Amino acid sequence: MLDSGQEEILVPKILDGIRVFDLTIAAVGPWATKLLGALGADVIKVEAPGGDRLSHAVPPMIKGSSVLYISANHNKRMIELDLKKEADRAIALKIIEKSDVFVQNMRPGAVERLGLGYEVVAKVNPRMIYVAASAYGRTGPMAGEAGIDPTVQSFCGWCSITGPEHGRGEMYRHLAHLDLTTATTITQAVLQALIARERTGQGQRIEIEMLTAAMALQTTRLAEYFATGEQPAPLGSAAATTAPHQAFECEDRRYLAVGVERDEQWPGLCRALKLDELIADRRFATNPARVARRAELATILAERFKTKPAAWWAIRLHKENVPNAPFLTFAELREHPQVSANEHIIEIDTPHWGRMHVDGLPWKFERTPAGPIRAGGRPGEHTAEVLRELGIVDERDAGVPK
Amino acid sequence: MSAAASLAASLGGSLDGFRVLDLTQGLCGPFCTMQLGDAGAEVIKIEPPAGDFARRMGPPFIGDESAVFLSLNRNKKSVVLDLATARGRDAAVKLAHDADVLVEDRGRGVAERFGLSYAQLHDVNPKLVYCSISPFGEDGPLRDAPGSELVVQAMAEYTASLGRIGDPPVRIGADVASLNTGIFAAQAILAALFHRLRTGEGQRVAVSEFGSLLHMRGIMWTSMSDPDDWYGFHLDHYTKPPDYGYQTKNGALYFILRRGDSEDWDRLVMELGMEEALADPRFADYGRAATSIGRYATEVKPVWEKAFAHRTREELVDLVKSIGGDAVPIMDYPSLLAHPQVAALDAITTIDHPTAGPFKTVRPVARFSATPNTIRMPPPTLGQQTEEVLSAAGLRSY
Repeated sequence: MLDSGQEEILVPKILDGIRVFDLTIAAVGPWATKLLGALGADVIKVEAPGGDRLSHAVPPMIKGSSVLYISANHNKRMIELDLKKEADRAIALKIIEKSDVFVQNMRPGAVERLGLGYEVVAKVNPRMIYVAASAYGRTGPMAGEAGIDPTVQSFCGWCSITGPEHGRGEMYRHLAHLDLTTATTITQAVLQALIARERTGQGQRIEIEMLTAAMALQTTRLAEYFATGEQPAPLGSAAATTAPHQAFECEDRRYLAVGVERDEQWPGLCRALKLDELIADRRFATNPARVARRAELATILAERFKTKPAAWWAIRLHKENVPNAPFLTFAELREHPQVSANEHIIEIDTPHWGRMHVDGLPWKFERTPAGPIRAGGRPGEHTAEVLRELGIVDERDAGVPK
Repeated sequence: MSAAASLAASLGGSLDGFRVLDLTQGLCGPFCTMQLGDAGAEVIKIEPPAGDFARRMGPPFIGDESAVFLSLNRNKKSVVLDLATARGRDAAVKLAHDADVLVEDRGRGVAERFGLSYAQLHDVNPKLVYCSISPFGEDGPLRDAPGSELVVQAMAEYTASLGRIGDPPVRIGADVASLNTGIFAAQAILAALFHRLRTGEGQRVAVSEFGSLLHMRGIMWTSMSDPDDWYGFHLDHYTKPPDYGYQTKNGALYFILRRGDSEDWDRLVMELGMEEALADPRFADYGRAATSIGRYATEVKPVWEKAFAHRTREELVDLVKSIGGDAVPIMDYPSLLAHPQVAALDAITTIDHPTAGPFKTVRPVARFSATPNTIRMPPPTLGQQTEEVLSAAGLRSY
């Protein structure tokens, strides 16, 4: 149309035409559907009036809204339905009829009590891809228990492999990594099921537990335990199965992260440090040998690193193509040319919360670019718009008490 | 899993019939392609004559294979090709012409030298989905810089939420830069395959370890944009001391109160002999601000720990749960793997390897009712299927 100059150029999106009925709370479910939204799906996030405490009350806040809520709900439309009321549930079922993906991460049993379990949904829409995500699953002694990032961290062994050498196992204080790991596993599973549906015409049910996702993320560390029967100890900054692969303190008291994962990187490190005699030293010739003598090797290298500032070693290590990096802070990352060149962190304008930094997209598609990232909205902001667009008559206002 | 297994026989996995050519080594790429294999794809792992360097990541080793390698390479066929030779390159290019997906992590311009860049393959195989994985992203000053697990964690500020300010850095014990990126790579490939099924078009996709980790910390970047107050766990975690959970008579636990009412709260306080907390405003709202991410949690931890000192954590976990809170013991690997919940979920599976023998690993995470993920093949020995794959492709054995 000639008069559509205001609209952005329409680039096809991978999930064009895919609608997601998003009945998610907190971070695990919302982050999964946010990624589907970034791929072009029409994500309709359904909240009870007022929303849930976990999604809306977690500080920090920006202009009164929880950053968790803002962050986890980009690229969605927000509607409110009180699913405990028949009229609202009827509306939900009409949206479900016109949807392709259903994602929920309530405690097992909760969604069934709302009358939206898999059997009900599949009856209304047999092509539905239905995701039930939970902390610990539907079976076993902990079936139905709620879990959040720090409780799953505690339970899944995560804390036991992290911490200073000879120290106690430590919790990761960012407190969202396992939430988001589970979320990305959901996104992946939905894409897999969409492929299957494209080939077979069938929808299906997908179950994902946060506990299993958290264990899969530790697969390499659990492998060490299975092989030895011994708990892998926290090693500070050091890697367990490659060496040298740790932080070294330099003359200026700054730390440099150095990672030799491949044998061919080892001579380069020796040359960069002017420790050429180590190249031929049989004690350190292979990765398994260096791992077996990790402490001995670290002592030799640490002494050397302390003689010059981090910047000097970084220059020399870069010349030898040895992986190394400083430990950056957000202030440094925000302005880092690598971050801006790749749009790893970007700034967007939002309707309610002003201009803000957000995570960039984790993938680049050359033919069908994902995004752009848009802030979601406030709870219920798009209820009327969505119902109108889907041709659903909202009879709740027409004399029917809510 | 037996019902699921019989369904697999009739419908197969979602990627049944797709062929993946995997030029990656180490952790990230192999974790990605393992998931494609779990989904039913045929994964052909091209290895140099010396093998994937992850085969040497250890000790520990089981037989001749590193435990790390075994945990990342099930459902793959190993084909040894020396890409330094014309014959090796020709064979790889031929395999790429027949592939649906190619995954590589060789760095900018390297695949092109082998005749394996997207541009070179696209004309012959326009439906190819081509995924490149880099440490830091394909633009910017570090686009050619090599990465490692710790190096990417350090750059992406991951170590800022561990340890004590001024002390030596502490890494996350899990290999998050590698494995979380492997998940994003799998997503990108799946999304591109979905697009291809609908339109017939292939394309090139790319992910980076640095970009993946920065995405995973997104809540933090928004938190620090313009917060109303410098308060909340996505902001003050930087300055908090290390968190070891709550010490009890026999080990640590973690708990959070977020649902209880006044009756529950009174009972908890009485049971624990913490009557002093009733008059303490930091324990207001039934203790909600006094645990986990609550405003006063760090400050009042000693009060809880004093009350916990004479009780076992099993008793305390039960007590907290009985009043509607969430509580778990802080577990190490032996206690996790002995836990009945892990058994109930069948989270661990055993794979029989031709030389290493049976070994345990974590099962594929997502459980599909119609097109299940399956484990059909153990990780390969080096070059185990070279002959089979090359002769099936009409190539003379190398």
